[in-house]
Amino acid sequence: MADKHDGDERFTGHGAEWRDSNLSQEDAQVATAWVEQKIDRRSMLTNKDRVEDVRDIMWQLEKDGEIVVHRIKDEHNPVVVKTLFGWDKKIPTNQLWHHKSCGQCGNIPGYPTSLLWLMNEMGIEYLDETDQTSCTAWNYHGSGIGNMVSLAAVFLRNFHQAYMSAKAMGLPEGHFYPLVHCGTSFGNYKEVRGYLLHSAELREQVKNILGKLGRLVDGKLLIPEEIVHYSEWVHVMRGEIAKRQVVDTSKIRATIHPACHVYKMVPEDVVYDNDVLGGNRVAVSTGIMEALGTNVIDYSTWYDCCGFGFRHIISEREFTRSYAIDRKIKVAVEEANSDIMIGHDTGCITTLDKNQWIGKAVGKDYELPVMADCQFAALVCGADPFKIVQLHWHASPVEKLLAKLGIDWDEKKAGFEAYLKEVEAGNQENLYDPRKRITSGPGYKRIEQK
Amino acid sequence: MSHSHSSRVQKHIGDPISEKPAVDQEFLEEIFNDIQSDFRFDHELNGCLNCGICTATCPAAHYYDFSPREMVQLLWTENLEGIYDAMQEKIWACAQCYTCAARCPFKNSPGGLIMLMRETAIKHGMESAKSVLRPFSRVMLKLISTGNQLAPDMITPDHFPDWGPNISKVDAPLKLLRKAIPMATLNTTATAWEVNLKTSIELYTIWEETGVLDQLETIDENLFDVIVDIMDEKREDLEDWEDEQEDENDE
Repeated sequence: MADKHDGDERFTGHGAEWRDSNLSQEDAQVATAWVEQKIDRRSMLTNKDRVEDVRDIMWQLEKDGEIVVHRIKDEHNPVVVKTLFGWDKKIPTNQLWHHKSCGQCGNIPGYPTSLLWLMNEMGIEYLDETDQTSCTAWNYHGSGIGNMVSLAAVFLRNFHQAYMSAKAMGLPEGHFYPLVHCGTSFGNYKEVRGYLLHSAELREQVKNILGKLGRLVDGKLLIPEEIVHYSEWVHVMRGEIAKRQVVDTSKIRATIHPACHVYKMVPEDVVYDNDVLGGNRVAVSTGIMEALGTNVIDYSTWYDCCGFGFRHIISEREFTRSYAIDRKIKVAVEEANSDIMIGHDTGCITTLDKNQWIGKAVGKDYELPVMADCQFAALVCGADPFKIVQLHWHASPVEKLLAKLGIDWDEKKAGFEAYLKEVEAGNQENLYDPRKRITSGPGYKRIEQK
Repeated sequence: MSHSHSSRVQKHIGDPISEKPAVDQEFLEEIFNDIQSDFRFDHELNGCLNCGICTATCPAAHYYDFSPREMVQLLWTENLEGIYDAMQEKIWACAQCYTCAARCPFKNSPGGLIMLMRETAIKHGMESAKSVLRPFSRVMLKLISTGNQLAPDMITPDHFPDWGPNISKVDAPLKLLRKAIPMATLNTTATAWEVNLKTSIELYTIWEETGVLDQLETIDENLFDVIVDIMDEKREDLEDWEDEQEDENDE
């Protein structure tokens, strides 16, 4: 550790006025024990008086005629939830534009398919289209290539498309509201929105670029009223989802991994619910798992990150797998005797799912199934584990979990292998009309909405 | 530099025990000014009492010689040599989880400050940035030329042998498995989802307009050349399509 010193060795960075306290090791431990507290709600509430609600700036800028706000309207069937400081946040539940995640779609495709399947079951209207890019924040946090102007321009381009997309079907602007799938996109967009609202210079720079792309509304920037994560949609729909449950989960012990970019970035916007863990932890994921009847078990490192690290999972994998195994998987198994670890973000699910097998090399063979909350929800509501939940892409031993839930893995697998022959013959099934995916440019043909 | 009269700001003393030639003071000031002039700097650095709560909770501090407290102190005390030294390796240890930011009593964001230092390392083409980002080039090629950061064809046992033999639990060709995903946008192998040609060119325009391509050229000229060629072709394809549309409309 860099802040320890031996003998005369000193490390820079203390400042000229720094003096050693000369505490004994025991006294130093007592004096610094408070820093080992977990990041629970109480510890974050201490800053309340210094936190502003950026939405106040947003409404003022709209009033001043500088921006247009993409509003959540009654037609989006919003549910109001409480965030960290008891502020209201509107979560739209219908007419949703899927802002996909590159890591989910590329690597854990059962994540978005489970979400869309749940929406189909509940008759929710949505659009999944090709006019969307990655948020580019994984690359930015990993490599440093990018900057605040590029991140802001990408954010507003994608959200402008969400606003305009329904016109391709003859429906009005603002019909669909964006639902962000990735935790890093969610955190990044909220951070960027804050900077955009604070900085007139940033708004001006981004406005010039979006103007060139034809992505302004009445010559103004379009800012979303709320930035909404899919896990918030799952949370407010948990009662409706649980009504469709067909598999008993009462013997399942679940641990939750809350994602850093979901609840540590812009923490004032995160959903807390007094009925979920006493309102002292982020409510999403725990809420749906409790509604489905699982036993959510606490563990001492719940607040730790997963070890993804953005660049680490690609080029510093020793760090990623060591952290994932030692600080998360091992603890969830040994302390909580967990049957499954549930997450709500792309990088976390990838890290925790893929980095277990290598542990065998050093006798750390914990074998903990890992998946997203919406995958588990779809599974116990009767979705096919292969066709819909796409569990064959998971490296962790999800077979173990299915056995405990009474779902026959081998039988379902055989059914899927037979289905692959149908797919080869061009008879694949889709969750929606595939023609809707193209809303402009090459391949676009207008489809009227019935 | 601001606050140079303040007692918290360290004087430039050079490194009396290093045998390496001293880094030019003007260059050190230029580096610091680049970091400090970013409008986020004042949001992310509000003061520091050296409490160490950030380091106590930092995942990178578990495994690397890295301390967010040290990074904040270097910037707070305007320790120019220390900042430059940290940019040679340490700043790349941060896992960008922002646990430090969630916990800091001063509402500092050590993770956010690290990003300002990384951007500056790239701007100046520092060797640390070049070597650290070499394994990242596949990701950048994908992202900048397609609009998608990650693709199914990047997740192969050759690239991730430590993920074990169970990357796919059904033995079938990747293309077929992707076709069996019931979302039409996901029946792809070279991108995570099907990205509209017009969309990827809009993103490329953003890269051009915001200096991201210049960053890339500084770090990896060969990759930059490859991407420019790919995107020139894509732009021609879109222009051809637009011409066809105009012809059809005229008929």
